[in-house]
This record gives sequence, structure tokens and C-alpha cells, in this order.
Amino acid sequence: MKMKRQGHPVKGRPVYWVIACLLTALLPQLAAMPAHLALLTLAPLAWRLLAEMRGWKPMYPLLRLAVTVAAMVVLFSTYGNPFGRRTAVSLLALMLSLKLLEMFKIRDARLVASLALFLAATQFLFAQGLGMLAYGVAVMATALVSLTLLARAQAFGAAQSPAPIGAGARRELGYSLRLVAIALPAALALFMFFPRWSSPMWGVPEESLDARSGLSGEMTPGSIQSLFMDDTPAFRVEFSSPVPSQQDLYWRGPVFWNFDGRSWEGSYYGRNIAARARPRPDDASLYYTVLMEPTEQHWMFALDYPAVTPPDSRLTLDYQLMSRKPVTRLRQYEMMSDPDFTDSPTLSATLRDQALRLPDGFNPRTRELMAEWRASAATDAELVRRALAHFNTEPFRYTLNPALLTRHSVDEFLFDTREGFCEHYASAFTVMMRMLDIPARVVTGYQGGWYNEFGDYLLVRQSDAHAWSEVWLPGAGWTRVDPTAAVAPSRIERNAMDALDGRRHAFDFAWVRQVRNGVDWLGRSWNDWVIAFDAARQSRLLSAFGIDNLDARALVVLLALGLSVAAAFIVPVLLRRAPGRRGDPLARSWRRFRRRLTGAGVNLQPSMGPMEVAAAAAGVLPAQANEVHDIAAHYRRLRYAENGGRLDAFTRAVRGFRVNRPKGEHQ
Amino acid sequence: MRIGNRIREWAIERVRRRARIAPPYRLAYRHVFILPTVFGMGFGAMLVFTALGGLNFNNNMALLMVFTLGALTQMTTLLAYRDLAGLDIDAIRAEPVFAGEPAHFRIQLSNDAPHARYSLQAALATEPARACTDLAAGAGGTLELAVPTHVRGWLEPPPFRIETRYPLGMFRAWSWVFPATPALVYPAPARKPPPLPRAAIGRRGQPRVGDGDQVHGLRNYRQGDSLRRVAWRTSARHDTLYTREMESPRDAACELDWNTTQGDTEQRLSVLTAWVLMADHRQIEYRLALPGQPVLSGSGPAHRARCLEALALFGQ
Repeated sequence: MKMKRQGHPVKGRPVYWVIACLLTALLPQLAAMPAHLALLTLAPLAWRLLAEMRGWKPMYPLLRLAVTVAAMVVLFSTYGNPFGRRTAVSLLALMLSLKLLEMFKIRDARLVASLALFLAATQFLFAQGLGMLAYGVAVMATALVSLTLLARAQAFGAAQSPAPIGAGARRELGYSLRLVAIALPAALALFMFFPRWSSPMWGVPEESLDARSGLSGEMTPGSIQSLFMDDTPAFRVEFSSPVPSQQDLYWRGPVFWNFDGRSWEGSYYGRNIAARARPRPDDASLYYTVLMEPTEQHWMFALDYPAVTPPDSRLTLDYQLMSRKPVTRLRQYEMMSDPDFTDSPTLSATLRDQALRLPDGFNPRTRELMAEWRASAATDAELVRRALAHFNTEPFRYTLNPALLTRHSVDEFLFDTREGFCEHYASAFTVMMRMLDIPARVVTGYQGGWYNEFGDYLLVRQSDAHAWSEVWLPGAGWTRVDPTAAVAPSRIERNAMDALDGRRHAFDFAWVRQVRNGVDWLGRSWNDWVIAFDAARQSRLLSAFGIDNLDARALVVLLALGLSVAAAFIVPVLLRRAPGRRGDPLARSWRRFRRRLTGAGVNLQPSMGPMEVAAAAAGVLPAQANEVHDIAAHYRRLRYAENGGRLDAFTRAVRGFRVNRPKGEHQ
Repeated sequence: MRIGNRIREWAIERVRRRARIAPPYRLAYRHVFILPTVFGMGFGAMLVFTALGGLNFNNNMALLMVFTLGALTQMTTLLAYRDLAGLDIDAIRAEPVFAGEPAHFRIQLSNDAPHARYSLQAALATEPARACTDLAAGAGGTLELAVPTHVRGWLEPPPFRIETRYPLGMFRAWSWVFPATPALVYPAPARKPPPLPRAAIGRRGQPRVGDGDQVHGLRNYRQGDSLRRVAWRTSARHDTLYTREMESPRDAACELDWNTTQGDTEQRLSVLTAWVLMADHRQIEYRLALPGQPVLSGSGPAHRARCLEALALFGQ
């Protein structure tokens, strides 16, 4: 019986809503899929839409099976790793989409709408920005409309009469959003107080999610280039000490020692040996908090030189701040830096050797020029200045679209093309220094940042990615040298996009950037207040009141409190009565009187007037016929006569009226 | 299944004793019950599963969504409750039917509340819901339920359920309704009754003027006369319209006597029922004589109802 009821067919409006809901839920997934898979995922939606419009019959089960198997084959041949997170979610999306081929029953439609919500939850594993908030709300609203309409289709379908559905999409959406709104207070209480887990119960797959943009562990020409177009935030910084000037904001990231003629790589020692010395926290002059976006990499970013290491991170020999686990979610850490610290007053032979090593047979012209410079026998510092002057006086150009370099990349860059961006300059400069027998290395990271006065924080975007050099000078240790600054000082004084003459793209206006910065402030607040919330922050929820460590039991108590408060707000709104529902006191008393009579077994119909009521009652309660008649007559007078007497007398009479049951009879 | 039914019957009986109510009344807090549906439990399981994932990865957006949906699901219990609580059940009644036909119980509802009530369904005690309606704020409505009948007499209607799965179908709120007014079930008319007995006394009544088949005469047209009865040919020859007056020959009052029928009580009652219907159909006067009861004589709908009721309640 139950099966039959659940198996009621679904047609029309609910179907369109379920398709809309699934389409909304699929959006981010479609964007992340290869085009052919995205089309494959969309196809069943299109088929079901057409089927609904044209009145097609469900597909033959065998054909459906064949389509499903084919789709699976395509999916698994597209994704190499069958156990990856993206593969799993793509599989879910595809299966859900294929489910539409057999969605002709209310039960199936409900399943699709519910699992669309689950699909949305999986999408939050990949991104949690403000845009995803809008996405989540959209999926919830469409799913709720679908479920509401399906519930109505079920109710009216069982009655086998047409369901009067069709209030219009806007009203239906509005209704769903109201449902969400009344749930919000309780949802917030749950969000804040539901005890969180401090560490995952089961593992986070180490496999990288999607290719995230960001600095990587090796530097080949053009590796940073793609970042210049990327305005997404890399991290945000809140200073509690004065903000350093723009040209001192070098956010240190991966450091490169090994050059193979084409690309730069990190050093084993540099990455794996801990820093020998670090600034004392007392010497630090910069205090700031970094809120870092997930990168799937180990690097964390700080200004030179970090005096502390955040939990679960380490400081390497070349002062890279590395997280022990890849940064897979928003991460916040407090930092102190001492810019005046001397890095390695002495350089060990091993490191010196590494900082001077160059592959043989590359860049002969540069080698020749450097030999010339060296012969002029200046000090190391003078040679550095000479190299910078060389970039400054010769016609070098800063551009994001340089000519391609081939085998002798430094030669071609220095003598032929003479155009490039930070990567080219840092790489060429470092090679020149090594040829001059000066230990040198390449450092990548971010330079500068945009100060958001609105939110009082510094925003560093991917487009602020930068590469510079460090040379080791006797006495001064490792010293930062930025050859790009010699060519395009504005790159350092302002930032990468301002350093270019033209706009980067057609919509690159100043006011657009302003708007984007406002939006970024919102995004940052969202990150700060919502996304970065975790077990640690939860335990400090009441630190303002001097309670520093909330345990699970205290949280449960708070949760109960929070839910009660939420209910106290919402329940009266939901269950409010009509302003005058109790209405006319005379009618109320009369109703009460009628209820008493009904309770005594008098068969009253709604259509009966007062005297009919009295007559009916007299039949059942002959002993009280007079009393009943008096009350009915009193009511009639009060109701219809011009001056029918006192209401309170009537109310008292009704209140005093008791049915005297004959003895021995039990109702 | 049988145990389930017995539990349900026990529960209904408890509710009946506790509520001690009959229409008209207003559904109050204590009358409304609520439980999750199968779909609601499945949805809840999905939410729990998603919440575990969200907690594990500390994925705040997933948690925010799950918590919102969870709170919302919980809030729908209030909405479902509100859909029923305060509903006025004004009356439940059914027109008399012949045994074997379903009795259609009409549940008259009215909504005194400032909000509309959606997807109100009615059902017989142990069956899935069959009727559904919406009630706008301040409006009334009817739900109709068919109860099968088998024997003549008063049919005590089984308890009804008024229920709703509004708004999302995750919870079912319901209330038991115990109709107080029984339905009258007439005996089933015999399939092949003996021919209608002729009048025993053989007295012909006066012809009745009015709506019969034979033309009796002409009179002046009066407003309200059917145009089909205007004598156009005659009228054309005169200045005024004429209306044909018809007569139907009036049969003698026929005797429907218990003693002229054969078989057991029920068979006799069925034959008498069939005769009453035939006589009524022919618009003749008839007299119903049942043992130990005064003879009913007359014609027309009221007489028919009286006769059928007497037949239905014979011996009860």
C-alpha cells in the first residue's frame, strides 16, 4: 500500500523545479569538469526537460543501463585517479544527473532534490567563498520549492484530484526563503555551539584537489606569469604594529638554489634543515596576523625574518616558513618579524658551493661579460651595484608578455630580447652573481599588497607574486637584491598591475578595482568569522567573559540555551494567533455554552439558531430545559435586541451552567 | 502487520477515551500527533551523514547548510502542527445509501485562523489518505470519505484521520476524528423484484393536472411556463399564447405488504425496498405495511425517505 502511494507519478511544475534545483547544484561542478564531461552531465537534464515538455515516456531500462555504463566509462577514463575527491564528486554529479532518466515518480524526484543538497555540500570541499554562499542559498531555495511542490503533488495525487499548484515561481521561491529565514536563528546556534572535532576522525586525502593557483616548488620561465592575471586573494594580513612601506613588503615564499639552465629548484638542505638561528622575539618590530587561503602547498608566508613559528610549522635553513601538512583550508597564524636580522654571518663551504653552482655549457656570452666585470676588480657590493645599474641604464623593459627564451636563456635575455618580468630579472641576476663568484639564490613570494582602509588590513593577491634575489655578502650575510626594482621601480612602489602601461584586460578600470576591494573586504570578513571557525576558536568563544576553555559539556549547555533562545523568537511568530481571533466576547461565551451542551450529548448543528439549540437541549436535558431556554433567550436578546441587557450577566450565567447528568448514566 | 493493526486500534481507543469529543469542535494541542515520514527519516539520515563529513573536515559551509536544513526540518513540525491545530471540525455526516454502496461521509471544516491551511488530507483509520483540500484563512471546506457498507441499519462510522504532510513531506501530523453521527444504510434493493403489486382496493384517484404525458387542455400562457409546452399552432391562430396543460393518469395507491413477499427477513426487505423505489419512480401513491408497525402511506420524496428508513431499521 505504501509503495503504491510513494510510487505516484510526478508531472509538470515539480519536475521543472527539480531539474532547476539539480542544475543549480551542478554549476560549480560543471565549471570544474572537462568540457566533454560537463556536456555529458548536462545531457540527461536536457533529455528530462524535453521529455516533460513533449510528454515522452521513460527510457527503456536496457537503454538506460547502456547509457549509464557508457557515461561511467567516459568518466573513469577522463579522471586517472579513481579514488580522488574530484572523481568521487564527479561520479556523484553524473549519477544524480542520470537519475533524471528514470525520475517519473514522486519518490525519485524527492531523492534527486535531497541529493542535490548533498552534492552542494560536497562542492564546499573545493571552495568556500562568498560566491559559494550565494550558491548554497540558491540550491537550498530550489530544493525546498521542489520538496514543497512534491509534498503537495503527493497529497493531492492521493486524492486523485488536480493539485491546485501554480502560485508562481516568485512566490514559491519567496516561501522557501522564508522557511530558511525562520530556521536561521537555530542554525546559527548549532553552528556556534555544536561541539566541533579538533582533528579529523578519518583522513583527509593528501591528493591535491584542483590545480590551485599559487607559487609552486619550482620556477620555470612563465610559472609566475599566469598568476599576474589572477586577482584572487593569496592571504590577508592584519598588522598590530605600524604597516611597513610598500617597498619593504617582501613576503618570503619558496627559495631556490639549484639551476639546471632552464628552471630553478629548491635545495635539499634549504628545505630540510632547520634554521640555525632566528631573531629573538624581543627584537621583532613587526607584529601581524596572517589569514591564508588554502594552497595545497606547504609554504606559509611571512616578512623577513620570522621570529616565531606557528603551531605545526617549521622554519628552514633559508628561512622558508613551512607547514607540516599542506594548507588545505583557511589558516590563520600570528607572526613576528625582525627585518634587521642578519641571515648567516658566515657561510659554510657546502652552502657556498651550492650557492655558486651553475650548469656547464650554458650562457657563454654572459660568462664572458662577467669575467670582464670581475677583472675590473671591484668588491662584491660594487659588482652588485654595477649589475643593477646595468639593468637600469641598458634598454631593459618590464613586460608580462616577453619573447620566448631558448637554450641560453640568460644570454638571450641580457643581450637580445631585454624584456621580461621579475622571474627573468631575478634568474638572470642570480646567474650573473654566481658567475661573479658571489653566492646568490632566488627567492619567490609576494611583494606589496593592497591596503584596505575599509577593513584595516592588507590584501595580498596572487597577482602580487614576485621573484627576487639574495646575495651573500661578507659581514652583511644574505642580502635581498631586487633587480626588477632597477628596471621598473613602480612595480615595487605600487604593484604589479600598476607597473604596466596599459590595462591588463578590457574591464580593468580603477573603479572596478575599488568595487572589487570592497567585495574583498566582505570576503575577508566571511573568511574570518565563518570559514576559519574551528574547534580552537569555538573553545575561546566566551574568552571575552573570562572563560577560556569551553569543553564539550559546556558547549552542549550553550547549545541548549541558544536553541531555546532561537525557539523563543521563532515559535511565537509561527504560532501567533489572529489579533482578534478570540473575538467577540458574546460569541465566545455562546460557543462555550454550545460546547457544554455538545459535551452533554446534545446533537447540535452549526446551522442551529439559539432557540433551536434550546429546543434540542430540552430533549436531552429535560430537567434543565428552562435554564437552557433562559440562556438562549438571553443570548438572542443581547445579539439582536437594541438594548438587550448586560453582557457580564450572560457570561456569568454561561460560566455557572452545569449539566446535571442523570445518576447512573455515564455520558 | 496484524500486531501493527492491533497496536493502532489500541492507540485509537486510547485517544478516543482521552479526547471524548465529537464534532463540532476545534482541534487542540492534545489532539494533534506528529511523527516523521519515511522520507523524513531518509532525509534526516542524509543530514547526519553530511554533518559527520562537515565536522570531520571542519567544512564550515557544509556545516552551515546542514544546520540550516536541520533546523528547518525541525521547524516544519511546527508548521505541520499549525496546519492542524485550531482547525474547526464542524460536522461529519453522510446521506443515506443502499447497502453495498459506499457511504460518503462529508467532513465539514472551517478555518478560523489568520493563515491558510494547506494540504489537509482525510483518511479512514487504517488506510492511506484519500481526500485533500486547502483552506484559505477564514474559509471553510469539505473532505469526503467513502466508507463501504454491507448491512442495513445505522452505520457507525470508523474513526477518521485528518492529516497533513505540509510543508515538505518530512513529517506527518494527524488527528483522530470520531464522528458522532451515524449514517443510515437502506437495505439493498432486490435485483429482480416481483412486479409491483396493484392496488388491492382498486380505487382510482382523481387525474392530476400538471406534468403528465397526455394533453388535458389549453390555457392562457403564464410567465414561467416552459416554451416547449406552448401550443404554437393554436397560438398562431390567436393573438395570445396558449400553454398545453398535461395530465398524468393516477394509479391506485398500491399496497406494499410484508406478507405478500417471500423469503427471509432480509430478502423480503430487499424486495420491499425495490418496490418502494419503483413506486416512487412511477410517482404513484403507495402504502408500506410492515409487521408491528403503523402503515405508512403517501407519495413523494419525504414519504420515500420515511419508508426506506423504516425498512432500514426494521427489527433493530
